[in-house]
Amino acid sequence: MASLELKNIVKRYKSQTVLDNLSLTVADGETLVLFGPSGAGKTVLLRLVAGVIDPDEGKILIGGEDMTDVDAEFRGVGMAFQNFALFPHMTAFDNIATPLQARHSSQGTIKAGVESVAKLLKIGHVLSHKPRALSNGQKQRTALARALVGAPPLLLLDDPLRNVDAKLRFEMRLELPRLLADRGATVVYVTQDYKEAMALGDRIAVMSQGVVKQLGTPEQIYREPANIEIARLFGDPTINLLDVKPARDARGIYVGLSNVQVHLAGAPETAIGRDCIIGLRPEALHFVGENEPGAIPVTVEAETPLNEKIVTLVRTVRGREILVSRPAGTPGETEGKAHIAVDSKSALLFDHASGERIGSKNVVSLRNGEAA
Amino acid sequence: MQHTSLLERILRGIALTLVVIFFMFPIVWIFMMSFQTNETILRIPPQLVFEPTLANYTALITGKLTTAAGTLDIAFMRNLWNSVFLSVTSVAVALLLGVPAAYAFARHKFRGSEDIAFTLLSFRFAPALLVLLPLTLYFQKLGLANTYIGLIWVYQLICLPLILWIVRGYFEDIPADIEYAYRIAGHSWFATFRKIALPLAGPGIAAAGLLAFIFAWNNFVFALVLASADKQPVTVGALAFITSSGIQYGQISAAIVLSITPTLALALYAQRYLVEGLSLGAVKG
Amino acid sequence: MTAATMQRNRPSGFRISKRVLPYVLSLPALLVCIGILIPFFTSVVYSFQRYRLSQPWARQFNWGDNYISFFTDPKFWNTLQVSLLYAGITVLLELLLGLAIAMLLQKRSTLNNFISIMLLMPLMTAPALAALMWKLMTNPGFGVLSYLASLIGLQDFRWASSPSTALFTVVLVDIWVYTPFIMILLLAGLRSLPTQPFEAAALDGVPRSFVFFRITLPMLTPYILTATLFRLLDSIQQFDIIYAMTQGGPGDTLTVFQVEAYLNFFQSTNVGRSAALMIILWAITYFLSNIFIKNWLRLRERARGLA
Repeated sequence: MASLELKNIVKRYKSQTVLDNLSLTVADGETLVLFGPSGAGKTVLLRLVAGVIDPDEGKILIGGEDMTDVDAEFRGVGMAFQNFALFPHMTAFDNIATPLQARHSSQGTIKAGVESVAKLLKIGHVLSHKPRALSNGQKQRTALARALVGAPPLLLLDDPLRNVDAKLRFEMRLELPRLLADRGATVVYVTQDYKEAMALGDRIAVMSQGVVKQLGTPEQIYREPANIEIARLFGDPTINLLDVKPARDARGIYVGLSNVQVHLAGAPETAIGRDCIIGLRPEALHFVGENEPGAIPVTVEAETPLNEKIVTLVRTVRGREILVSRPAGTPGETEGKAHIAVDSKSALLFDHASGERIGSKNVVSLRNGEAA
Repeated sequence: MQHTSLLERILRGIALTLVVIFFMFPIVWIFMMSFQTNETILRIPPQLVFEPTLANYTALITGKLTTAAGTLDIAFMRNLWNSVFLSVTSVAVALLLGVPAAYAFARHKFRGSEDIAFTLLSFRFAPALLVLLPLTLYFQKLGLANTYIGLIWVYQLICLPLILWIVRGYFEDIPADIEYAYRIAGHSWFATFRKIALPLAGPGIAAAGLLAFIFAWNNFVFALVLASADKQPVTVGALAFITSSGIQYGQISAAIVLSITPTLALALYAQRYLVEGLSLGAVKG
Repeated sequence: MTAATMQRNRPSGFRISKRVLPYVLSLPALLVCIGILIPFFTSVVYSFQRYRLSQPWARQFNWGDNYISFFTDPKFWNTLQVSLLYAGITVLLELLLGLAIAMLLQKRSTLNNFISIMLLMPLMTAPALAALMWKLMTNPGFGVLSYLASLIGLQDFRWASSPSTALFTVVLVDIWVYTPFIMILLLAGLRSLPTQPFEAAALDGVPRSFVFFRITLPMLTPYILTATLFRLLDSIQQFDIIYAMTQGGPGDTLTVFQVEAYLNFFQSTNVGRSAALMIILWAITYFLSNIFIKNWLRLRERARGLA
């Protein structure tokens, strides 16, 4: 019904290529999150789908129908903008009503439609206000209501939580998945916040410099990032990255961390003898007793309690700093000498030169055109 | 900078007073003259206190000047009407032509758009007579000589670049996303232009219109070259006064006052936009 | 809504394509543009012709003769000299005066704002009418300025009717009309400057002259350039004030470019020479405006960025 298909999209601004031969498919009813740093081309991609800018090459299919040359008003999509893009001279009601007015719905239908979506988003009491008189949160909900009111089969959400305060963002992050699921619409959601991406996406497309670097479920992206860059972007605190050169002995493949041989279960053979970077998520590290196998001696430097976890900064005997995370309320070293061990199954190995993950067995990695 | 000495404050005060006197005196003086009879005007030294008379205005408005020598017709009201008509129509035409073009230049960067915009801008800076002199010959051939249509067309030389460049700036100030949002909601480009772009740029368009009106009103050379007496605006008409015999200085002053009042009033009304208009959008007030 | 209903929403009839739309919108303005470019090119043609309205039969191309004759024509050199002198003096004086007034009014206060609005009145007065006002005030019989001049010992000061003071008089009127233009642009510029460098300088006790020459002036330069070039372009083409005041006289004291071209056309009916004069003036303004537009565009972009 409203699947979305992008075929070999190219978009250039002057000499700069913003989208480079990009292809992507979103199934009907699926929520795809476009994740990436600013300038990756996420917003441009969304606008191409909406039809307000045109691709230089490639095709856009919505519900199987070629929409590449169809004007925005005939594509039947709903879109919410990062900066809300509310019409400043209209009340919230009129803002939300615009998609219904475009269909020449009757006054009664418009009123009922606007009020039901406003109720859903808890802005029923501010419908008579102009955007100027709305709080940021109300603006954001109004923008969302405008995108939802026409029940579009394809919904484009451009970082809608970017410009709202932390509390509201937290609430909406819980609220939005249910809201989107209820609608049954196909959703393309742009964000720069990995937690949002993980919470909302059926799948996540990680974009960088106009290409999709990795496409997969949130679990896949987190567990098997295609490269160091992606591993760094997902996870808080960020992943620890250490230079290693894997070797093999009788017990299998191991790496040397602070003169301790740490064996990695399931590490690929191809890594042996190569200059590598090992990626250790803070939660894949834990404090252990001195005599445990693979215990690495460290010095505790600082401890930061976050809400649901405690992050400890430790220093190895070689002077490298490492972050260790543990759930709040669990015991751990707080100062002085300590030992940590690696949960070897979740260790990630990356090629030092290219940054690509080695042995990406289950990772769906899309490379468009030439690899970046 | 907060510590200004008393001496400095006094000097600043004196300087400002001199500035105000220099720039305001001529207007005040002409205003006073317009309420004087020829007798008081010609008195030396000039009088600061006099018995004001409305005779000058009455003569202008009725178009009849009755003196001992007889009755004289003054066509000033005709000039005033010409000024109003030419300025209003020229601005209306310029808005009609310029606003859509400004929108196109602001929103759709198309091939040649900058060239056209700059060509229009260059009209603002090219010598008027360069175009006017050949036009007099063309106008005679085309039958446009001494017609309102011909004049209104030439007045586009001043009005159009002004409208185009100022209004373009106001359109550019509207975030593109707002218009995109309206398109995506299912509205045509024309509906978007009418319901979003025009209302949001509205105050700017109005201000540009007022400024264009002021410049059109104040123009002198177009009508001097292309119009004869019955189509001339006040700028040209008032000048003819001073050479025509029989008209008194009080009436000339009254004519000047009537001629500059509309532009001064509009300027006060639109003063917030004046800086931007005068610099064609380069400086914001 | 299904794809099928979306399909139905699409109009079947005529619809302006995205690519054509901007051209359609700007077409009317473009036509006016062309309508005005035609006489411009006609002027170029005339300037290469021997063309007198009084002798239409003798009209023929003489190619560069109109221009070549300028070299040996003292009237042309007079025109060039007076035009440049007029533009130079008015713009320089207006710039100095405008800057001084802008600095006097820099602080935002009710009085200052009121004065700056009052000072706009001369600028909003039609220059031709302004000339007429000054003509009345400098009338030798009853003019208040003639009277004031006589009070300070200048008996029989003849203002615009004497060759020695005519330039002074029209320059005075020009200053009266156009100083507010520079003043209001520079005032807007001054008020938009960041306050931080000035506060830092005041804290450090930097001398005022240093602050003015090293901080204020450099930061104000784009505004000064834009204002100056706007004025230069207008001033070198000044017609209204001079024509309304003296019609180029007495004699040929004030026959600046446009006045000379006007007189050539309507009095001597020498179309060829008149056109050639205008082409030369156009070349000067074209040269000036090319310097100017870059600066103006930069300032304009900055103003839009602030918006």
